[in-house]
Amino acid sequence: MADFNPVTLYFILYESMGVWLFILAGVAILLLVGVIMMTFRLGRTGRPAKRPAMAAIAAALVVTVVFFFLVPRWTLAGIGALSGVVDYAFAALLALVPGVAAGAIVFMLAARRCTAKSMRQPVSA
Amino acid sequence: MNRRELLLGVSAAGALSALGAFPARAQISSARARIVIAGAGAAGLSLASRLSRQMENASITIIDAKHEHHFQPGYTLIGAGLWQPTDVTFRNADFIPPGIEWIEEGVAEFDPDANRVATTSGRSVNYDFLFVATGLMLDYRGIQGMDESLIGTDGIASIYAGPEAAAASFMEIETFIDKGGVGLFGRPPTEMKCAGAPLKITFITDDRARRRGRRDNVELIYNAHAGAVFAIPPVNDKVKEMFAARDVAVNYNHVLSAIDPDAKKATYRTEGGDVTLDYDFIHVVPPMRAPEAVRNSPLPWQDGALAADGWIEADKATLRHPRFANVFAVGDVAGVPRGKTAASVKWQVPVVVDNLVAETAGRDPTATYNGYTSCPMVTAYGKAMLIEFDYDGTLIPSFPFIDPLEERWISWVIEEKGLKGAYRAMLRGRA
Repeated sequence: MADFNPVTLYFILYESMGVWLFILAGVAILLLVGVIMMTFRLGRTGRPAKRPAMAAIAAALVVTVVFFFLVPRWTLAGIGALSGVVDYAFAALLALVPGVAAGAIVFMLAARRCTAKSMRQPVSA
Repeated sequence: MNRRELLLGVSAAGALSALGAFPARAQISSARARIVIAGAGAAGLSLASRLSRQMENASITIIDAKHEHHFQPGYTLIGAGLWQPTDVTFRNADFIPPGIEWIEEGVAEFDPDANRVATTSGRSVNYDFLFVATGLMLDYRGIQGMDESLIGTDGIASIYAGPEAAAASFMEIETFIDKGGVGLFGRPPTEMKCAGAPLKITFITDDRARRRGRRDNVELIYNAHAGAVFAIPPVNDKVKEMFAARDVAVNYNHVLSAIDPDAKKATYRTEGGDVTLDYDFIHVVPPMRAPEAVRNSPLPWQDGALAADGWIEADKATLRHPRFANVFAVGDVAGVPRGKTAASVKWQVPVVVDNLVAETAGRDPTATYNGYTSCPMVTAYGKAMLIEFDYDGTLIPSFPFIDPLEERWISWVIEEKGLKGAYRAMLRGRA
């Protein structure tokens, strides 16, 4: 496993995915920046991040569960191919990728709604 | 960045480096050596990539007539009907690094006494160091009555002959499952590449028949060439157990010697004399030998188990020729006890390159190859066992959380999704 250093992994991923690696990395960075910006905006408008965060977690969970069942299909296998803790854990990990992306999008949308609301109805100190 | 942050950053990078998170910087040599690589297969291209980076002043020539490159570990998945031939077909030109001369011809003659190889057009190429990476030849005609052109006809399959043959083999498996009957599997008595593949295609056929509800209509027989189905004892035990559970019969010490395609009969050499079996489907794995140019040269072993088929004499730890010190054998053609898989090449190439770099830079060569061989043994659609072992037959799993003797989907993911990218990165000398 020591051979799988970040540089080697990068080349393996690049050879596997081609330009999609950069597209996905770009989307991930955009989502991360979006989440950070919306968190700051919530802070600036005095709105708590609790509700957007809860909505994001719920969305991430739902999407992760759905993708958990779809991930084996992506490998030309069925859900019945999963056997053993390591298989379930790895499928969950892979499903977390779209799950986290969905959570990030929902967080941004919910936070935007909250901040827009606070523009109309400022929160009293 | 203040001083404290800088120190923290440097310390973190040092710690990560010490933990192996980043690769050690490859050693380089400025020697102006003439290097010839015979063969542009997995080993040849990988050698070219690494040597061109680590020996910038060397004059490197690669000799191979082939323009297409095939990702052979994918043949099983074509045989399973999951991949297409295009999924495993690349262009050699895309992997030959700039600055390397590619002679688009075959090697006709090796003359290690004169440090020279001759190409099929008669061109003579001199070298200071020679890497022989020609691969091996599939000797279908070594089985009486068998010919490569029979693959895909009359119940004859063989995924080894190339992507199109693997696709034709899948069609034969489908026809066999439709019609039912007896299916024969096995392997040759010679050294062979990917010794797990004959077992994989047996498992695939079994699983395919089950999924189509036709398992009761087919009888599957695996004819092992020796007293075991796999050379590594724990893997042998596991596969035997799985064959028994899946109703795959096993005959031991059966070597396919002749085939009669019209009568659909296969003759096996056994300890008790020849035995002829009727079949409706047969997966033929041909005897494998070193290519003719290698066999006709002074390079092969002169005696011992590896001499008969012309495998190149090589020190098993360094892959260096004991009689011709400037010759190295890498990949399938190397006469070492194991190591005829793409995964073996991944570990062999850095060893021979690092040793040559060290030697030409005036340092002692210290890298050694431990016989690493890997076989993601597909055991069903969606399941595999990730088997890795060394010269001693000791299982050496790369991932401590994957039990090599358990059928796992994660091992299948590595086979179906991970290997091709890793292989291509290896061709570029990056993995």
